[in-house]
Amino acid sequence: MNRSRAPILKLGETLIASVQEALMDADLVGLRDELVAEVKKYRATCVIIDVTVLDVLDSFAARTLRHIAQMTQLLGARTVIVGIQPDVAFAMVQLGLTLEGTETALDLEDALSRLKIRVGRERSAQ
Amino acid sequence: MANHETLPAETSISREEVLRRKAFLEFTEDDVAVLEGVNDLATQYAESMIEDFYKHLMAFEETRTFFADPELLRHVKEMQKAYFMRLTQGHYDQEYVANRIRIGQVHEHVGLPVKSYFGMYCFYLRAVLKRLREEYGEAPEQAFAIFNSLMKLTFFDIGLAIDTYIESRERTIEGQQEAIRELSTPVLLLRPGLLLLPIIGLIDTRRARQLTEQLLRSVRTNRAAVVVIDVTGVPSVDTKVANHLVQTVEAARLMGAVSIVSGIAPDIAQTMVRLGIDLRRIRTVGDLQSGIEEAERLLGYRVVKERPADGQGEKEGP
Repeated sequence: MNRSRAPILKLGETLIASVQEALMDADLVGLRDELVAEVKKYRATCVIIDVTVLDVLDSFAARTLRHIAQMTQLLGARTVIVGIQPDVAFAMVQLGLTLEGTETALDLEDALSRLKIRVGRERSAQ
Repeated sequence: MANHETLPAETSISREEVLRRKAFLEFTEDDVAVLEGVNDLATQYAESMIEDFYKHLMAFEETRTFFADPELLRHVKEMQKAYFMRLTQGHYDQEYVANRIRIGQVHEHVGLPVKSYFGMYCFYLRAVLKRLREEYGEAPEQAFAIFNSLMKLTFFDIGLAIDTYIESRERTIEGQQEAIRELSTPVLLLRPGLLLLPIIGLIDTRRARQLTEQLLRSVRTNRAAVVVIDVTGVPSVDTKVANHLVQTVEAARLMGAVSIVSGIAPDIAQTMVRLGIDLRRIRTVGDLQSGIEEAERLLGYRVVKERPADGQGEKEGP
């Protein structure tokens, strides 16, 4: 499936889908199915989709991302799209693709801090 | 009239355009023949014509200032004589046009007002008319024909010269517009995570694009979470401008930044509602202060006044 193009990592109750290269429509659909299944399976409360590497997001991709957000919402998980690049963001709004109703964050770090997920040492090493 | 080195690149007018202009003025080969026919006469009168011409120019403050230097005056008289003689030398071709354009550029360059330019041409025609009357007192028909041809040619020259004036102004305006566009709209970092984008002046498509790109880059480099877009300095808003604003806000949101639009003037608010612009997706507040306060609230800042401002402490004493 799309495992190589967008592996899904599990971090506590959060699933992180990290897009590694340009996604074909079929890959997007695969990612959607897989994410929805894994949210259910792991009882995840948050989903982060990192699209930093994408230099284009077309209407199908935008719609699929929105659908993922809505579907995971129905399963009780909040989805955040992270890493949309300035050029991509500009191109998207010109095409009217605004991911309405979907949460966005600057990057993975930003999303984790918004979701109040702490990564790293709780206290310094002895 | 003075230095030729600093003139702008020569304007060229196509052969077809020259023909169109001549056709409109009904300037024909007959006119060429008539003018060539009085070349001897022109040579005879050139000297006195030029003297009269400069006497007239020197009688007026506005034009006198251009010829304060006697050396320069001598030079321009030579040039003027050449100009005058050229009127009756035939071959009103591309080279003639280039020469006339050049003369126009020289006058424009030294800042001679258009009204003076016209006034000088008027004097020229009147001076010629006077001499024609003296010369052809017995044959007014002939004088009339000569004057008729000369007038056509003169108007042809004026057209070329005035075009150089207009072109120069257009170049200036173009340059200024470019300069205005390049006046970048700064994106200011007000606090960690808080950007301020003050927009001043009109927003057109090009500027909106530049503005948005700049903002998005700043959002990334500063890791901004909130952007205050202040439109206090935007004089008017139409559907297009409002759409640009919405796009900027949406693009920032795609990068995870919340935008607050502040400073919409009352009359602009009225216009926007009347135009039916939907700004429900945009957070708006009245003025910049409220915008910054709202942003600080979103970011979790709390600004507290600790003590009276410097210099005011003493005043509060008994």
